[in-house]
Amino acid sequence: MSAAPDCRHARLHIGAAPHELPPEVGAHLETCADCRRFRDETVALDGRLRSALELPLAKFRVDTRERAPRVRRFALAASILFAFVVAGGFWLLQPRSALAGEVAEHVQHEAGSWDMREPLPPAQVADVLREAGVRFDTSLPVVYAMACPFRGRQVPHFVVQTPDGPMTVMLLAHERVATRTEFSEGGYRGVLLPAGAGSVALLTRAGDAVPARLAEQIAAAVHF
Amino acid sequence: MKPASHGTTAATPFTRLLEMLRPDLLRFAWWLARDRSVAEDVVQETLIRAWKSRDELKDSAAVRPWLFTIARREHARLYERKRLTLVDVEEVEALGDPALATDGDAGLLDLRRAILQLPEEYREPLVLQVLGGFTTAEIATQLALTQPAVLTRLFRARNRLRTIYGLEPAEDAE
Repeated sequence: MSAAPDCRHARLHIGAAPHELPPEVGAHLETCADCRRFRDETVALDGRLRSALELPLAKFRVDTRERAPRVRRFALAASILFAFVVAGGFWLLQPRSALAGEVAEHVQHEAGSWDMREPLPPAQVADVLREAGVRFDTSLPVVYAMACPFRGRQVPHFVVQTPDGPMTVMLLAHERVATRTEFSEGGYRGVLLPAGAGSVALLTRAGDAVPARLAEQIAAAVHF
Repeated sequence: MKPASHGTTAATPFTRLLEMLRPDLLRFAWWLARDRSVAEDVVQETLIRAWKSRDELKDSAAVRPWLFTIARREHARLYERKRLTLVDVEEVEALGDPALATDGDAGLLDLRRAILQLPEEYREPLVLQVLGGFTTAEIATQLALTQPAVLTRLFRARNRLRTIYGLEPAEDAE
């Protein structure tokens, strides 16, 4: 059966850019359960698509290292770290959250971020925050700051140095979570915290969970 | 990933930026070229060209699209210069390219193969959007297309992949 004209219009946009919908499609979704289901399916598909496109560079490099002996000034240890993290095992202590899984997956693919040690100049951090329209008033040293594509948005991705070691902080202005949710994914321990209209994801590589007080302090420093 | 403000003329921060972006650049180049050797060459040339032209990058927040754009041009230039033959899917699969490997996730492998089988006109905007984080307007600029044309290509790309994911395809716009 053909979809109604409004539904066809909505599904064209949803199918093309599920995270970049015009207002009229958003309004249509409020009233159309079928299109909402289509949107949810498409968003889920996009999560898989991203996983599919993020090729495993660790395996990717096995053969390429044997080819032309070029000077690889820019080669990262990321592939090695990625393999290490994957080999480190997958803890399944908590029920899997799609958002948590995607956050962990994103961090896995930027494994080089954990290697950063030197605090970045405040202006550098401010630029990433300005780009995302977010405030993050932390006193912790920020050693990595990038605006990363995540679920169709640019989100600030930081690594801060804490007394317990480096911690990834992703500021998810467009991702709501109902309650504090701890997770263990891909070798990381993490927590998703509600923060204003969005949420904050914190991850560590250590075996222990993210300390609750520190997590609350960081979440309180975020203003969407 | 858009980077923070880095003194783009200072060697160390700029090199670090390139290091951070290299993995995604390599993946992007692979999806364009569908060949690891070519992808490595494209990225190598892209980074060298970026390094030489670093003073042209006025807005350091735009380094990611800037690099992706250079990579697209380098890929096109490489094919033009070397007159490389296009790699077909069967060839890539026959080579058992480790780039496609999954850790036992057969569904993911099917999806990767399905993406490979998309026509280039559908695959490229999809990769720019999902992997590159570009908006449809930015993709339209990159590919010199209208935004409606980009929307249609993205819709059709996902529609073909829906069946791989076990979903019913949506009714096409036309």
